[in-house]
Parts: sequence; C-alpha cells; structure tokens
Amino acid sequence: MSDKNPEKGEVSRRDFLGLAAIGTAVLSALGVLAGVLRIFKPDVHFEESKKFKIGKPEQFPVGTVKKFDDKKLFVFSDEDGFYAITAVCQHLGCIVYKTDWGFQCPCHGSKYDQMGNVIGGPAPRGLPWFKIEQLVDGSLVVDASKEVPKGTKYIYV
Amino acid sequence: MYSRFYLSVLLISGLVLITFLVFATYRELNPEWKKYQLEYRDLLIKNAPNEAARKKAKSIKIEHQQIYIKPLKKVDRCMNCHRGVDDPLMKDAKVPHKLHSGDYLKKHPVSKFGCTLCHYGQGRATNKKDAHGKGRDTHWDYPLIPFKYIQSSCAKCHDYLFLKDNGGEMVVEGERLFREKGCRGCHKLNGVGGDLGKPLDIIGSQPIAYFPMKYVVGERNTYNWLKQHFLDPRKIVPGSEMRVFLSEKEADLLTTYTLTLRAEEMPRQFRAIRYTTPVPKDGESLYKMYCVACHGNGKISAYDEILKRTIPAIMNPAFLKIADDKNLERIIKEGRKGTPMTSWKRTAAGLRDEEIRNIIKFITKDRPDERPEPFDYKRFVTDTKHGKELFNVRCALCHGKDGKGGKDHLGLNLRNPAVQKFVDPEFLAMTIRDGRKGTPMPAFGKTGVGLSDQDIADLVAYIRSFSDKGKK
Repeated sequence: MSDKNPEKGEVSRRDFLGLAAIGTAVLSALGVLAGVLRIFKPDVHFEESKKFKIGKPEQFPVGTVKKFDDKKLFVFSDEDGFYAITAVCQHLGCIVYKTDWGFQCPCHGSKYDQMGNVIGGPAPRGLPWFKIEQLVDGSLVVDASKEVPKGTKYIYV
Repeated sequence: MYSRFYLSVLLISGLVLITFLVFATYRELNPEWKKYQLEYRDLLIKNAPNEAARKKAKSIKIEHQQIYIKPLKKVDRCMNCHRGVDDPLMKDAKVPHKLHSGDYLKKHPVSKFGCTLCHYGQGRATNKKDAHGKGRDTHWDYPLIPFKYIQSSCAKCHDYLFLKDNGGEMVVEGERLFREKGCRGCHKLNGVGGDLGKPLDIIGSQPIAYFPMKYVVGERNTYNWLKQHFLDPRKIVPGSEMRVFLSEKEADLLTTYTLTLRAEEMPRQFRAIRYTTPVPKDGESLYKMYCVACHGNGKISAYDEILKRTIPAIMNPAFLKIADDKNLERIIKEGRKGTPMTSWKRTAAGLRDEEIRNIIKFITKDRPDERPEPFDYKRFVTDTKHGKELFNVRCALCHGKDGKGGKDHLGLNLRNPAVQKFVDPEFLAMTIRDGRKGTPMPAFGKTGVGLSDQDIADLVAYIRSFSDKGKK
C-alpha cells in the first residue's frame, strides 16, 4: 500500500488525496460565502447622490452666502475659504433660514449661531458641516455624506 | 476503497468550483466600464492644466457613476463609460470620453436630467450593448435614438414656438408636414381625425412589439420602422392603405415629429411649455389637415391603386355647381358609408361645426356663380327598362356593365351605397345632364350627347334600382 513511511512525516498518497479534497472543498465554500456576502454590499444605491457639483470657485467670491434649495445646503465663502453647512434643522428636519446672527428654524424655534452651534430651541445638536472637494476641471463638489468638524474651511482657486 | 472514490469526486468538483469562482471574481473586478474610466483618467492626467490638477487627476476613483433623478425615479449609469460628458477638459477627446456637444448641458445639467431622458437607451445597464439597447436580444423598447431624430426629445418639455428658433426646427417642420399631408384624415390625434388608421397619440412611445417588424431593414426598432414605413408603407405593412408620398428628408422630419407623440408626460418642474402654439383654423389649413391625403388638390378624379376606388374631385367647379353647401355639409358630417370617407361630425371624427363650415368655404371657393337649371325628377314617370338599355349603351363603357366601375374603368362605382342611398335623384339627373367638367364624365343632356330629360329620368331610375336588386 501507499503508507510506507508514516513515521517520517511524509504525507502519504491517500492522505494527500484526502487533504487536497477537503482543502478545495473548504476553499470553494469560502469562495461561495464571499460571493454571497458580496451581494449585501451594493456598488450603488437607488438614491440620489450625496455629492453635489456647485460650480467653479469664481462663482463664490468672498462674502457669498448661497442657499441650494434642492440640495438643502448653504455654501459660504469668506477670507479663510469655502465651507458648506446643511440647511436641515437637526430637530425635526425643517429647513432653516439665514439671519444676521446665524440660522433660525421656522418650525419649533431652534436657533443656531454663525458656526451652526445650537444657541436655543429644541435642537439636540448643531448643524453639520460638509466636505468640499475640487474636481480636476476646477469645479467644486460638496460631499454631504462626509461630515467635517465645524470651522473646516477649504481654500481652492 | 469507496472513500478514495468520493474524495476524488470532492476534489474534482472543488477544483471546478474554484475555477468558476476565479473566473467570476475576474469578471467582477474587470467590468467593461472600468476600461473606459481608466482611459478617462489617463486623458485627464494628460489634459490637466497644471501640476496640482494632474495630481488630483491621478487620485480620482474608478467607481460606478450613477445619476438618480428623483422626480422621475430614473437611474442613469451612462457616465460609467461617458465620464467626460460634462468635463470641459474633454472637449477634444474621442467618444466615449468626449464632452457633450453644444451648450445643452449648461441649461440641462446631467445631475438633473441624466442622459436617457433625451437619448433613450437603458440607463441602468453597465455594458455597452445593453445600455444602448442595440440588437434583438437586449429586448429594450427604447434603444439609443439616432442623432437625426434627437430633436424629438426636446418637444417633451418645450413648445413649438420655442423650438422653432432654438434648435428644434425638425420637430416644427415635421409638425407642419403632419398637418399639411393630411395625416389626420385617417389618424386620430387628441380625439380628432379619421378612423381608417390607428390613433397616433402615443405612437412614439409604443413598445417595439407594437410594430410589425418583419420587413424592416436593418436594426428592428421604432425609429427604423417609422422611417421605412413613411417611405413605403406597403413594403413594411403589406396591404396598407396609407397614402403617403414622401422624400427621404420629409420622412425624417415626420419620424422626428411622430416620436414626440408619447404617452408619458414630464413632471412640471421639467417642462417649459408655454402652450401658445397657435393652431391654424382656417379652411385651407383644415382641408390640408384632414382631407388632402385622399382628395389631393381636389381637382383630379382618378382611380386610386391604394384605396382601390375612384376618389371624387371635390373641388371641381362642375361638381360644386350642383352640390350646394347643405349637401356638402351632410356628406362631410355623415361621411359616405361603404367608402373610406369618414363621418366627420363632432361625435365621430371630432370636427366642430364651425370647422366643417370653414372647410366647405375653402372647397367651394371656385364655385361658379350661376346655379344649375333645376331638374324636377318627380315630374317624370320613369321606365327602368328603357333606362337599362340606355345605360348599356351610354354608361357601361366607363362605369362597367354592372355599374361597379373599378380598376379598368374611368367611372365611379354607382352601386356604392353612398351613391345609392345618400345622393338625391335630382343630383344624379343633373350630373348626367350637365356632365362633370374637368373629369371624363361628359354631358348627356341637350348641350352634349342630346338625351331628353325623360331619358335621363329613366336612367336615374335604373341606376337607383341597383340597390333594390341587391336586396332581392
């Protein structure tokens, strides 16, 4: 038979067959499992993109306050750069408006200061700031899926 | 020993499965669009205006590009391959990386309108063949629209007045042709029009299965069907009675227009329609819209190969001299049963009384001033036997021995219920007596062949007896 030198630690022919068979079975099972798990992570979702192209930097000279109604977003530009703050009140999702001192929610009276911090009303947290990126052709893109710490301003030309 | 056999089976099946998995993984990691995005990145690096931009270009992600249009619940992934479509740096690149031509994207940003709204194709597909909807096995009803018909998409949101001066002239011209070629003589649109053909309200968005594609040359899609059917209806639908005689260019214009007739309506925020397009309501326009397809200029009475009957010359002065407005109005309103002439009244083909009056005014513009000498048919005692003898001598040559007219004869079918039931004997008698100037019908009365009024009355009686014979 094939079991000639088991004591030397050499793998016998039958053992090799067994090991290889079980090995491939385990490997293919893992592969199938990976494939099944892959299904749960879609490439894209059936929803609006969270990235908005807002235009070229020259469209936002220093001092600009621009509200994008359909994107529910404020875009500001000052000496320190560009920044984007959401217009969605963190209390129940109404759309806030800009005042001299900050933001005011029309629904339940939440008040936010210029930075978006809560200064009054029922809002549990401040208005989040979003990341602004620049594309190769120079246009700016707000990424509403990426929150950044308050005060992060981006300088683009 | 059995374990050895089973182990071998396990090993082999495991190896086969792993081979498949490797293959699947390879396909998953190398989709068709990835190649184009890598090309796009290379182009971007090449075209970058400065060092910073080049660095940025090197770091762009190769990932799915999807546009979700919320109000339409529409998903477009065309930018997976056409990623440079709104990138000014790609102005001189080649398709698929090229920047969109013209300045359409300025007012129609890709993020709001997507691509397939205008260009059609399957927005969700991620490979070229399915996305463009080409080939029979893609089973996509709205494949990529050929460039020459693209203006039809503009009419989804814009009106003709706007399109006329803003790059939609093919739609406007097509709409004019549609009116002037008399399409609505047989086809209903918005509920108004004849009923020989199919209603056209949603023809542009009908699925491919709606069209008989058997004889279409080339790609079997709606665009080719419409164009080829406009050029030669009987080649595409054997036995079709559609009377169109169009040049290549006119067929393209009408195809463009027809494609604008769609079932779905755009949501309000997309539309820019001012609803101010004036539709002419004068007699001539109406005549063209509803009558011209069959009656042409109204002056020629000839046997028509397509409809297999003689089409009467309704604008012939000799006819108008006899037919008064009331008579014409009755014919137009009630139609001619047993002929393709539709009943045009409000409740049938949908014309308003006022529109019918306008058409009559247009038809009768060449009516001679003098009225015909009346023919008092009731005064005569008629003899159908004599009438028959006269008919066989005088009339059978053109109208056929049986009065049926037809292909080899010049005359109308006199057995037609239209003639038998709806034409007064006086009208028939006057026609026989005075003839029809401008048609082969000569005058048989004293001014012409010389039949007496009694002879004519006998003839009329014989002709009118056809329908009695039919009943027996």
